[in-house]
Amino acid sequence: MGLRLSYDDRSAAVLVFPVLAVLLVVAAYPILYSFWVSLHDIVLTRPLRRPFVWFENYERMLGDARFHTAVLRTTVYTVVTVSVVSVLAVGVALLLNETFPGHKLLNALLLLPWATPSIVNGLMWKWIYDPTYGLMNAVLVKLGLIESYRAWLGDPDLTLLLISNAAIWKQMPLAALLLLVTMKAIPDDLYRAAKVDGATVFQRFVHVTLPALRPGLMLVLVYETMISIRHFDLFLIMTQGGPGDASYTLSWLIYVETFRSLRFGTGAALSYLLAMLTFLLSWLFIRFLGEKTA
Amino acid sequence: MAAITLQGVTKRYGNVTAVQALDLAIREGEFMVLLGPSGCGKTTTLNMIAGLEEISDGTLLFDAKDVTRLPPHKREVAMVFQSYALYPNKTVAENIAFPLRLRGVPKAEIDRAVASVAEQLELTPLLQRRPNQLSGGQRQRVALGRAIVRQPSVFLMDEPLSNLDATLRLSMRSLIKRLHHQLKATFVYVTHDQAEALTLADRIAVMQGGIVQQLDTPEGIYERPANTFVASFLGSPQINLLRAGLPRPAWVAEGRDVIVGLRPEDVARPTEGLTALSGRVELVSPLGSETQLELALPGASITLRVPKDWRVTEGETLAFGIDPARLHVFDAATERRIAP
Amino acid sequence: MARRLLLALFSALFVLYVAGPVLWLLSSSLQMESEITAVPPNWLPPHPGLHNFTAIFTAGDSAEYANRGIAGFLPSGAANLLPALYNSLKVGLWVAGLNLLFSLTAAYAIAVIDFKGRRATLYTVLATRVIPDIALVVPLFLVIRNLGLINSIGALVVTYLAVTVPFTIFILISYFEGIPRDLYRASRIDGCGHWGALRHVYLPLSLPALVAALMFAFLTSWNEFLFALVLTQNAAAQTLPIIIAGFVMDFTTSFSFVNAAGVIAILPPVLLAIIFQRYIVSGLTAGAVKG
Repeated sequence: MGLRLSYDDRSAAVLVFPVLAVLLVVAAYPILYSFWVSLHDIVLTRPLRRPFVWFENYERMLGDARFHTAVLRTTVYTVVTVSVVSVLAVGVALLLNETFPGHKLLNALLLLPWATPSIVNGLMWKWIYDPTYGLMNAVLVKLGLIESYRAWLGDPDLTLLLISNAAIWKQMPLAALLLLVTMKAIPDDLYRAAKVDGATVFQRFVHVTLPALRPGLMLVLVYETMISIRHFDLFLIMTQGGPGDASYTLSWLIYVETFRSLRFGTGAALSYLLAMLTFLLSWLFIRFLGEKTA
Repeated sequence: MAAITLQGVTKRYGNVTAVQALDLAIREGEFMVLLGPSGCGKTTTLNMIAGLEEISDGTLLFDAKDVTRLPPHKREVAMVFQSYALYPNKTVAENIAFPLRLRGVPKAEIDRAVASVAEQLELTPLLQRRPNQLSGGQRQRVALGRAIVRQPSVFLMDEPLSNLDATLRLSMRSLIKRLHHQLKATFVYVTHDQAEALTLADRIAVMQGGIVQQLDTPEGIYERPANTFVASFLGSPQINLLRAGLPRPAWVAEGRDVIVGLRPEDVARPTEGLTALSGRVELVSPLGSETQLELALPGASITLRVPKDWRVTEGETLAFGIDPARLHVFDAATERRIAP
Repeated sequence: MARRLLLALFSALFVLYVAGPVLWLLSSSLQMESEITAVPPNWLPPHPGLHNFTAIFTAGDSAEYANRGIAGFLPSGAANLLPALYNSLKVGLWVAGLNLLFSLTAAYAIAVIDFKGRRATLYTVLATRVIPDIALVVPLFLVIRNLGLINSIGALVVTYLAVTVPFTIFILISYFEGIPRDLYRASRIDGCGHWGALRHVYLPLSLPALVAALMFAFLTSWNEFLFALVLTQNAAAQTLPIIIAGFVMDFTTSFSFVNAAGVIAILPPVLLAIIFQRYIVSGLTAGAVKG
C-alpha cells in the first residue's frame, strides 16, 4: 500500500518532470539562492571577501534616499499607467464589441502594439519625442499647441509621463482583449431587459456593462500593476533613469546597483523587496476588490 | 468470456461515498442492467469496472483474476458511451479500426474486421464519413461497431440510448439484444430507463444512494419489489403506495403498521373472488389502448390503468375489484417488503 | 446615423493611435538620413527606398561598408545585426518547440490525470508565474555564471522556457478541459495509455491552442530584453533587441539606421500576430483568465 504508485501516478510523474525540472532550476532555486545572496555583502569587484551580514543590505536600502526616490517614481509611473490603460481599454473594448464594416480590421490592428518588441517600442517613441526631428514637436507646432520645439524627454516633469505613454500604447491591447471577452459574455437579454425598462445608452453602460465587467477589470488591474511595477526596458532605452532622477524607478535602481555598481548583495535584497511588494499588492487587490465581485 | 465479481467495492470522493461496499457477482455471458436514478452510483460502478475510476476499497475480479489496480487499457473491456464519444478527427472506418490498430493487428485483418462489422451494423455506405456528418442513431451504431470489432468478453454500456429519440431507441434496443445473443459476451448496461432495463436484462440491480437495493430478474423486480423505492421506481404510472385506504391482505398481522401497494394495472371488473372497491373518478386520461384514471377512494387517492372499453366518464362512481394476492405489503418503518 | 458617425470617428482615432507610431517608424526607415533630418519632417518618404536595410544587411561586408555611398554613420555594431537576427530566430524556435513539448505533457497531466501531487504541481507552476522578472535577474545571472553558461544560446533558451511555460500550460489546460471527457475515456477503453490518449485525442483536437502556445513562446523570446541583456555579452549569443538597444544608446548612430533596425525587429512578430490573430486572441485570454 501507500508507497506503491499507480499507473496514473507514474505516467503523470514522467509527463510533468521536464517542466518541474526547468522551473526548479531556473526559477525556484535562483529565488532561494538569491535570498542567501541578499544576506551577504557581495561586491563583484572584491570577489574574495563576502561576509554574512544578516539583514544589513535590507536596512541600508530601506534607509537609502535613492530607494525612497525609486519607490515614489515607481508609484507615480504605475498609477498613471494602470489607470490610463484601464480607461482606454474599456473604451477600446466598447468600440470593438460593436459590429460594423471594418471591425475585423480593427481587431487585427489591436495586436500590433502587443506584438511590438518593447525595445522597438522604446526607440519608436524616443524618435517621436526627438527634440529636433520628432513627430511630436512637428504635430504640436502645426496644431498651434506649442510655439517652439521642446526637448520632451529632457523635461523632468514630463519624462515619467512620456515613458508611461509608450508603455500604455503597448499594454492597452491585452487589457482591451480581456475586457472584450468579459463583455462578450454579458447575456443579450440583460440589455434587452434594460431597454424595455427604458434605460438610456449611458444608463445601460453604468447599470449593465460596468458591473458585469468587474471581474475582467479586476484581472486587468492586477495584471497591469504587476507589469508596470517591475517594468525595465523602456527606462533603460529612453532615459536611463534621468534626467537627474526623474525616471529613477525600482527596477532601474536594481539594475544600477547590481550591474553597474556590481553590489550583488544589495541588488538581491532590492529584488526581494520588489517581489514582496508585488505579492503584497496582488494580495491586496484580490482581497479588497475580489470580495466585492464574488 | 468472463464473469465479473465485485467484492465490497467502494468509491469515495473526499467525504462523499458514491458507492458503498458493493457486492455483485455478474455471471459469464449475462446481461446485467444497473438501474437507478441519476447520482445513485451506477455509472461510477461501471467506470470502476472499466478502470476509468480508481476503486477506493474492495476487490474486482474478472473470472479469478484480480484487476482492481489494472489501468483501463489493460483490462480488455469494450464500452459504449451516452455521448457516443467518436473521435471527431477520424472517419467511421478509422474509428472502428482504432482499437485493433492499437493492438497491432495486421492491416489486412483490420480491413476485414471493419468491413464485417460495418456490414452487420449497416454502416458500409458511411465508412468514409466523419462523425459530424452522421445522425445520432448512426453515431451510436459506429460506437457499437468500435466496441464489437474487438470481440470483447466484457461489454460495458453507459446509457447508450439516452440521447436518441423514442423510435430510434426501440430499434436500437432490439439491436443490442441481438448483439448480446450473437456475441455471448458479458454485458453490463447502465440506465435510468426502466423499460430498457426490463426488456434487455437477464438480471437487474436497482441502485440508490450507492447501494444495491435489489438484485433479481426483471420479473422478480417488478413482481416482488424488495422495498418501496424499488416498487415506485419501476412501473408507469407509479405504484400506489398507501398507509390506509387500501384493503390489507388477511395474512398481515392485526395492528402492524404497513404500507400497501397496488400496481395501477392490477384491477378488474368486480367479480367473485376479488375484493370489491369503489371510488369517484376525478380525472380521465385516455392513452390510446388504455385509459388512466385518477380515483378518489374514501380517505385516499389512487391511479388506475383500465382497458379503454370500460368507457369511464369523469364524475361517475366506479366499482372495481382487486386481487388481494397482487397487493404488495411493506413494513411502514423499514419500508421493506413483507410476505406471508 | 449618429451611431455610425460616432463609430467611424472612434475607429479613425483608434487606427491613428494604434498604427500611427508604427507607420511613422516605417516611413522614417525608408528615408535617407538627409530626408529624415529635415525640419519640419517629411510625413512620407520623398524617395522611398530600402537603402538603410541594404546598408545594415551588408554591414558585415567591409568592402561594401567602406563605399556604401550614403550619408550617415553606421556603427561597427551593425555587423552584429545579422548574427543577432539569426540568434533571435534560433532561440525563438528552440523555445517554441521545447515549450510546446513540455507544456503539452504537463498540461495533459494536470488537466486529465488525477495523480498524487497534482495540486502541488499546479501551485508550483502558478507561483513561478507571479515572480517578477526583475527579481529573477540577479540570482539567475549568478546561477548561470556559476554554471559557466553566460553568453550561451542554451542559457537563454532555458530561461525563456521557464518564463513562458507557466502561461502556455494554462492556455492548454483551459483548452483541454473543453475536450469531452468521454473521448478520453473511449480512448483508454480502446487501448490507449496516457501517451496514446495524448497523441490520439488531445493533440489532434487542440491545434488552435497549440498554435497559440507556439506563437506566445516564440514572440516572448523574440521580444525579450532584460534577461538577454544580463545573460549575453557578445555576438555569439546576443539577440536582436540587445543590438538595437545598442544602436539607440549609441549617439553617433544615424536615425535612419536605428529606425530600419527597429522595422526589422518588429516585422516578424507583427506578421505572425496578424496571421494567427484568431488563435492568439483566444489563447491569450484563456491563459490569462485561467491563471
